[in-house]
Amino acid sequence: MEVAGARKKKAWKDRRKCRLVLFLFLTFALLFVVIFAERFCPYDPNLQDMSRSLQPPSLAHPAGTDRFGRDMLSRILIGLKTSVASALTLVVIITVTGTAAGVICGFCGGILDSAVMRMADVCLAFPGLVIAMAIAALLNGGITSAVIALAAVSWPKYARIARSRTLTLKSADFIAAARLAGSSSAQIILGHILPNSLGPILVTAVLDIGAMLMELAGLSFLGLGAQPPTAELGNMMSGGRSMLQTYPWVVIGPGIGIFIAVVIFNLLGDAVGECLDPRGRQEKPGNYINRKGENP
Amino acid sequence: MEPILEVKDLTKKFPQQGKGDFLAVDHISFRLDRGETLGVVGESGSGKTTLAKLVCRLTEPTKGSIRLWGQDITKAKGKQLRKTYQNIQMVFQDPVSSFDPRQTLGAGIGEYLRNAGIAKGEVQARVTKLLEQCGLEAEFARRYPHEVSGGQCQRAAIARALAVKPEILICDEATSALDVTVQRQIMELLWQLRDSQGISYLFICHNLALVQAFCHRVLVMRQGKIVEEGTADEVILHPKTEYARILADSVMETELLVGEP
Ligand SMILES: Nc1ncnc2c1ncn2[C@@H]1O[C@H](COP(=O)(O)OP(=O)(O)OP(=O)(O)O)[C@@H](O)[C@H]1O
Ligand SMILES: [Mg+2]
Repeated sequence: MEVAGARKKKAWKDRRKCRLVLFLFLTFALLFVVIFAERFCPYDPNLQDMSRSLQPPSLAHPAGTDRFGRDMLSRILIGLKTSVASALTLVVIITVTGTAAGVICGFCGGILDSAVMRMADVCLAFPGLVIAMAIAALLNGGITSAVIALAAVSWPKYARIARSRTLTLKSADFIAAARLAGSSSAQIILGHILPNSLGPILVTAVLDIGAMLMELAGLSFLGLGAQPPTAELGNMMSGGRSMLQTYPWVVIGPGIGIFIAVVIFNLLGDAVGECLDPRGRQEKPGNYINRKGENP
Repeated sequence: MEPILEVKDLTKKFPQQGKGDFLAVDHISFRLDRGETLGVVGESGSGKTTLAKLVCRLTEPTKGSIRLWGQDITKAKGKQLRKTYQNIQMVFQDPVSSFDPRQTLGAGIGEYLRNAGIAKGEVQARVTKLLEQCGLEAEFARRYPHEVSGGQCQRAAIARALAVKPEILICDEATSALDVTVQRQIMELLWQLRDSQGISYLFICHNLALVQAFCHRVLVMRQGKIVEEGTADEVILHPKTEYARILADSVMETELLVGEP
């Protein structure tokens, strides 16, 4: 029984690992395409040629051309690069600021903690995208202001997670032992608190990449992010939306680009979460029987 | 003899929701002489761990004073507190959770050494020496806390506490989580350290048999107060209070299992 259970568990774990490896591979493939996007472009994405405008997909232009006769495939590739790069930047910014704020607040407590956490509560109470739209509109447009706007409303989630982890860890005996070791607060935060709270934060961050990609594209679609002629998937869809019925490839192409990127990042997030989730580790056959026994 | 540690009116109140404050440690005063072993006994929840953490300044006291070599450390902060920790060390009740789960035992011990100003190149050799002193092979430095047994982890914890050569070692039920044979090994180690290094102990334990064998004087705690105080034999063989008598009854049952000094 036990051996079979263990083998089953191992197989299950292997499958999870396989999924992780597969999605990591897909992510790296995506990142590779994005990083070397210029090399993959068959044409200059900004080269206008009115004589070839709005051509349907063909061998010469696999994704067709847009209103100005620019090659859609090249623009999608460059747009994907803009979108992915800004989404990754955004996630790094909110992970770092949110975690720093949460850990420091949790560790120090007091007025600073109350003040920062009330601010976080306010951010979480309102629909984030609406505030982000307001902020992006106040700033003078461009993908940078969209990133800043989304960063301003998205850090509280990380601050919350980091703070609650810090509060739990703060009362642990090994932190007391580190104090007895003569370590300063900064040493304790960097050496013990951060390494022990990074797991859940990283999972959240990876899961967030897809969502942030969508929100950035959303802001751009509304004209609050990247401005034409910058190629960005959101504003490319927005620019072509009036032609959806007559020249659908102008909208569908960038849509597929966003779809693929978001799906890959979300699958990766799920796989990472599964592999790091402590519940997965506790799920031993014995536990399962126990739980069933208690609850017939 | 001069007191190395003097505690006066030490009090700790924990705020409770709804009800009034909870007095975990209630006006406790005692002194610890050089080379002396002071036992603290009492039932679960009587405030022993809280007292130990107060003395090490790991929790802030509500009231009272702690003096180390006549110097008030009740309000010590930063540098002064770090210096205090060169003299006072503590071994925790649960050995495994007193090590960072993401660090090896060697790294945990190394943290003490590095902060004490030992050169980086020398740390590893010192860790090995400390582990060997506590009966562990050098190889244990590379293990993680969950990869060793409770007894081995407790030895590593003692090795860690000894890294800075403290004068006072507070043992918070250092042997309670362990089985009798391992308990005996740990006690032998503590004994040997007392003889060779003249360490003073604040020895928290609820096993009176151990206390009688190891301690010079004993404090009996109940609900945060000291209810009885005296030499180990006085308290255990001729208890004055009913509470101490009940505790003392446990001696008879475990006497045989404990080695003589
Ligand atoms: N941080 C805290 N907040 C509130 N109450 C606490 C806190 N720490 C301890 N207490 C309470 O103080 C009392 C004494 O706890 P303490 O851990 O000192 O007991 P103990 O004598 O060490 O018990 P044991 O033998 O089980 O280890 C307990 O009733 C406990 O609930
Ligand atoms: Mg205790």
